[in-house]
Amino acid sequence: MAHSMNITLKVWRQAGPDAQGGFETYSVPDANEHMSFLELLDVLNEQLIKEGKEPVEFDHDCREGICGSCGVVIDGVAHGPQQRTACCQLHMRHYKDGDTIVIEPWRAEGFPIIKDLVVDRQAFDRIIAAGGYVSVNTGAAQDANSIPIPKDDADLAMDYATCIGCGACVAACPNASASLFTAAKIAQLSLLPQGAPERTMRVTNMVDQMAKEGFGDCSNHAECEAVCPKGISISAIATMRREYMKAMRG
Amino acid sequence: MRLSTLLNSPIGKKLITGITGLGLTFFVLMHMVGNLSMFSGDDAYNEYAHFLASLGPLLYAVEAGLVLFFLAHAVNGFKIWIGKRKARPQAYAVYKSAGGPSMQSSSSRSMIITGIILLVFLVFHLISFKFGPGGPGNADASYLTTVNGVEMRDLARLVREKFALSWYTFGYTAIMLLLVAHLRHGVWSALQSLGAMRPSLSALIHTIGGLLGLGIGLGFIVMPLAIYFGLI
Amino acid sequence: MSTVLDPKIPAGPLKEKWDNYKNTIKLVNPANKRKHTVLVVGTGLAGGSAAASLAELGYNVKSFCIQDSPRRAHSIAAQGGINAAKNYPNDGDTIWRLFYDTIKGGDYRSREANVYRLAQVSNNIIDQCVAQGVPFAREYGGLLDNRSFGGAQVSRTFYAKGQTGQQLLLGAYQAMSRQIGAGNIEMFSRREMLDLVVVDGKARGIITRNLVTGEYERHVGDAVLLCTGGYGNVYYLSTNAKNSNVTAAWRCHKRGAYFANPCYTQIHPTCIPVSGDYQSKLTLMSESLRNDGRVWVPKKQGDTRRPQDIPEEDRDYYLERKYPSFGNLVPRDVASRNAKMATDEGRGVGETGLAVYLDFKDSINRLGRDTIEARYGNLFEMYERITGENPYEVPMRIFPAVHYTMGGLWVDYELQSTVPGLFVLGEANFSDHGANRLGASALMQGLADGYFVIPYTLGNYIANQSLPDVSTDADAFGEAESAADARIQKLLSVNGNKTVMEFHRELGRIIWDQVGMSRTAGGLRQAIDQVSALKEEFWQNVCVPGEPTTYNKNLEFAGRVADFLELGELMARDALSREESCGGHFREEYQTPEGEALRNDDEFTHVSAWEHTASGHVLHKENLDFENVQLTTRSYK
Repeated sequence: MAHSMNITLKVWRQAGPDAQGGFETYSVPDANEHMSFLELLDVLNEQLIKEGKEPVEFDHDCREGICGSCGVVIDGVAHGPQQRTACCQLHMRHYKDGDTIVIEPWRAEGFPIIKDLVVDRQAFDRIIAAGGYVSVNTGAAQDANSIPIPKDDADLAMDYATCIGCGACVAACPNASASLFTAAKIAQLSLLPQGAPERTMRVTNMVDQMAKEGFGDCSNHAECEAVCPKGISISAIATMRREYMKAMRG
Repeated sequence: MRLSTLLNSPIGKKLITGITGLGLTFFVLMHMVGNLSMFSGDDAYNEYAHFLASLGPLLYAVEAGLVLFFLAHAVNGFKIWIGKRKARPQAYAVYKSAGGPSMQSSSSRSMIITGIILLVFLVFHLISFKFGPGGPGNADASYLTTVNGVEMRDLARLVREKFALSWYTFGYTAIMLLLVAHLRHGVWSALQSLGAMRPSLSALIHTIGGLLGLGIGLGFIVMPLAIYFGLI
Repeated sequence: MSTVLDPKIPAGPLKEKWDNYKNTIKLVNPANKRKHTVLVVGTGLAGGSAAASLAELGYNVKSFCIQDSPRRAHSIAAQGGINAAKNYPNDGDTIWRLFYDTIKGGDYRSREANVYRLAQVSNNIIDQCVAQGVPFAREYGGLLDNRSFGGAQVSRTFYAKGQTGQQLLLGAYQAMSRQIGAGNIEMFSRREMLDLVVVDGKARGIITRNLVTGEYERHVGDAVLLCTGGYGNVYYLSTNAKNSNVTAAWRCHKRGAYFANPCYTQIHPTCIPVSGDYQSKLTLMSESLRNDGRVWVPKKQGDTRRPQDIPEEDRDYYLERKYPSFGNLVPRDVASRNAKMATDEGRGVGETGLAVYLDFKDSINRLGRDTIEARYGNLFEMYERITGENPYEVPMRIFPAVHYTMGGLWVDYELQSTVPGLFVLGEANFSDHGANRLGASALMQGLADGYFVIPYTLGNYIANQSLPDVSTDADAFGEAESAADARIQKLLSVNGNKTVMEFHRELGRIIWDQVGMSRTAGGLRQAIDQVSALKEEFWQNVCVPGEPTTYNKNLEFAGRVADFLELGELMARDALSREESCGGHFREEYQTPEGEALRNDDEFTHVSAWEHTASGHVLHKENLDFENVQLTTRSYK
């Protein structure tokens, strides 16, 4: 049978974007090892609602690690202790009875806090809108097989394309840089012939937008790769820089 | 327009930091190798120093370049640091590295601190040696010597005097260890900033960067310690 | 009064209908498109592709999503792939064959003309997505790779690892982003549509609630496109994302849009089983696992031995026993129903007894662990991450879970609902899958609707209407906003003892037990009573703390559960009225002596479309005329 665990949670509570936030301590006496981390928060919220208190707000949706909605810093690590795992897929079997877990929101100027653990990540959408696409109107495409792409390039492009836009890279980066997110899209499209004609505009506009959003610069700590639920390599950032330099050469 | 865009972009900043960083790494490597000539005797060391001084305009050009590199490196380092402060106004209550592919280390986190200390040290170092007794603007006959019939500055004497002092020797050693720390992250980071990294090479280059840093640091440290303990 | 609905299918032979339609519709002058505002609700495959395509054409588009970004719509979670009749492998696929397979897979309860059009545009979808940079799997020659999926006899499924939905959605999202950047789409994220505004009988606007500030917003448009996905979360536990809901569709239903075939739901056989009461959602694993895994349960009831300790002679490989020719590869509905039968007999496994084994031991012995790892490595990892068990060593435990709803708002050939100007796309409409959807067809339908159908049909609507200016001060807007606000205030003021989740869980249990994998008249009547009583209790006893003016997810969920309670009742009514078994709808009273689904084509070859009236639901029908295919009985023996 599943073992019951008593877990103490220290959760960041903040009523609104401009409110003063602080930690609240809660105890969840009947957690168990099969629960996911977010289910633990569900149980906590049910407790709070029953006490007539406001539940802890956190973003979540698919709960299978692909939508990128969820994301909190757990004991100092974005998405928690299990690598290549979004926190919705983290399970309580990694904890033991009596553990205390500290939960904080993503902290970055580019991700203002909305409430409790919920942050505003629209900066990412604006970075993509600045150039993270191939300009092709519906109906203007040629036959799909008329653009052969070497398998290795297609596979590598897919590796970069798996980004779920959760923002863990920003959250974990000591500089709060959005380089891995931005670079993953640039690197994906740089590998494909479809993306080639507008590559210069893409990299300059996306990098400019990234800077405008108030993210820090990349200092090559590579912490982003370590917390990325999809394990996207910082080689994407190297590719972005090469693309940018090429663009500057004209 | 393009150049100013480049220089102010997040990528340009790292590019400059990387290029100047690699240039400075090459400089300290050469400096370190030069220092080792002390092991061949004071004359060899003085001849080497004299050779450099006699280059005249070429030396001035190189020195000007170095000043430019140091300034550019430092200014960009500050800009990145200020940007980082702005990008995360509120720090985490608990923060740690996830490990694994992360290259985060005490070195990578302390680049601004080691950098500032190295910068302050550099000024002090120039005052002590380059502009010290017998140097430009500080003529001192007692620091002259003649090697193979050529009169030249007796820099070796100054070096021996300085490294006879324990606070100086051990202070210098400590600072060279900070240089090791700075280079441990710096070399690999510069290569990644220049877009030269392939994913399969990351770990290797990080290791090589660390070893290079360590080699340079040790190279700088052996000579003062050898003098202090009377080995040379 | 019950009527017969006209789907407005164009004239001509099946293969020419879509072309005939396109040849004869009225077009909107390019210069005038900018003057027309289109409201697109939802940003999944259907909504994202529609918003992008319409903005490219020059319409003024406003797009809405409940998530913080349009990229997070639940289409992103689709794993397997997308079908198209490209016939790149030269294995005999044609548009006709894709059409036929889809009609047959839907158990002859879908509309021929729509399905044929879907098969026709399937190829354009692949072209479009590749041009956008979607990194589909490729062969060493650099050309696209295909695989066979869900027991299809041809390889027509295009895929991007196990993340095809993600890549297709990001393609549509990027196309949208380009239009957002260009100023042609105005994006409203973290907005929930709470009502449809109907002016002079036409859909002319929506009321949204800003989920961050709680403010209501009024948006005027010349047409509303509802692309809000399915209602699988009525079961509480499903593979749907937690925010997936029926609210927008249900409010449209209450404003006059008929709800078609609500009882058609798809239960996917290979999901990770429930582990406890705290369970919040279910995770699907690709059904490709059944290619090499063998499904079994112990022969004896209540056999608590570890699976590795149960000898061969005490195991029942029930799919292989009952369906010798298809074995473990029977269609989804058959596999799911049989798992339920085994657990109902008390032969289920695991702590809860609600699971069956999917065993790879024989395949590992035959093919080697490396081969199995190459085929399913990522799925095995996912399974281990969630359950903590290593499927290379012990058999997987699987159980069916709800993951798609074929029912939805009724639409005609033009995807227009019974409210003029309200178009419904993707899973939100009742559409093209009949009573059962084939694997890799949902992505195809969402993108077909958004990229290649709505740009034509919407134009035809707008060109044929006089659409006088409407102001957000119009009475209809005020009335709709007050109604939405009254509901929110009511939810906050009940101050009862039960949480929203408790109600939702209870509703889910009723619907799963009685309107799930197999249904009976008695059970359905009971479900109607139970759900209706639960609805009553909900409005007396729900507890929703917090403010309406800040981010309050529990309040959002409360509103959605309130709508699910009404939908649940209609699902049971629909299932009760359909006195036959077809596809995902299995009525125990209607089965062959071997226990297989028994259709009643004479009386039920129609779509049931329900109208909401003040006095209750009224049933209307759309007769399904099969002029091109012969109705047969599916057999997998």
